[in-house]
Amino acid sequence: MADQRKLTLDWWSVIAALAAAALVRFNILPHIPW
Amino acid sequence: MSPMTGAMAAPRDSRPAIPRLLGLLPGIALLAALGFLGKLTEQSIARYGKAHHTALPNIEYVLWAIIFGLLVSNTIGVPAIFRAGVSTYEFWLKTGIVLLGVRFLLGDILKLGGVSLAFVAIELAVSIALMTALGRWLRLSPKLTSLLAIGSSICGVSAIIAAKGAIEADDEDASYAIAAILALGAFSLFAFPAIGHALGLSDHAFGLWVGLAVDNTAEATAAGALYSDAAAKFAVLAKTARNATIGFVVLGYAIYWARKSNRQGIENKAAFLWQKFPKFVLGFLLISLLATLGAFSKPQIADLANLSRWAFLLTFAGVGLQTNIRELRKQGLRPLAVGAIGEFVIAGVTLALILAASRWL
Repeated sequence: MADQRKLTLDWWSVIAALAAAALVRFNILPHIPW
Repeated sequence: MSPMTGAMAAPRDSRPAIPRLLGLLPGIALLAALGFLGKLTEQSIARYGKAHHTALPNIEYVLWAIIFGLLVSNTIGVPAIFRAGVSTYEFWLKTGIVLLGVRFLLGDILKLGGVSLAFVAIELAVSIALMTALGRWLRLSPKLTSLLAIGSSICGVSAIIAAKGAIEADDEDASYAIAAILALGAFSLFAFPAIGHALGLSDHAFGLWVGLAVDNTAEATAAGALYSDAAAKFAVLAKTARNATIGFVVLGYAIYWARKSNRQGIENKAAFLWQKFPKFVLGFLLISLLATLGAFSKPQIADLANLSRWAFLLTFAGVGLQTNIRELRKQGLRPLAVGAIGEFVIAGVTLALILAASRWL
């Protein structure tokens, strides 16, 4: 059960990061300052 | 979540998705507030140093975020309303690591030249072997030893952050490893330029040495810049080449730890390994590959790197909030001793290599 939760979390974080990368790549997300 | 931090584990939520997501907001806001306080603290100290022309050690926002989180959880505690949101820190960690891949261009390895590249390979092998031996000798927990080995062989904080997720290390171990690497980095900022001047090293030799022996990118760059502009350039190049190996070394450790948890002799080892393998490491390698192939422009790379910093800001406030100070104190000074002895030997070995090969540099 814990493994399953971790697996889902892993894939969700990859999806979130790739989505963010796509938004930046296609200039949908504005400049992100630090 | 790691077993040592079960004290404030959030109870399982069986509500529908929308109320559950709304329930995460207070905790996420707390992570953001503590993390942002960490960022402000780092910037204020840097500004003070600049205004007063003093070289203050660069204590990164990640350590401040851990410290502030630690202060809250070990004094007033974390009220129940925040707990569900605070436990999202692992999601921010993994998302941040995948995004961090954009900063590690595989092509950077090739820019350095043959002899220097061989030194990077030697440095990696020596650091990993040495830290593992020292960790065993001083009986550190195997995962803390792995974290220190990765931190000292590649690139301090980023590598420890990446490895923490990949090998499922405890929050206490990650906090300790980050603090140890940063403390040693601060020391090297003063020690390296002094030794370089005393030995009369060339810019190339000094830059290469600093890039090989100082663990955190910020400190390596700063120590190079304290010597000369040219030395800073070589330091950054050598350091970047080390950084570019992060994916492979973390991948190796992830496979090692996934395999290690397979003690009962499971039939289908490949399937088991795949099941245990941290999948976000693949996301990291994919983004790194895309960046290497030129999928992102320079400003886009900077934007994505900034986004990963924001994710880590939330992460490490969470790590601090989950860190139990009593567990941390149990570790004592041994991890710091392993780090210090290891760094000292690595600095000596790399310096000897550079001095021996200085005519070819």
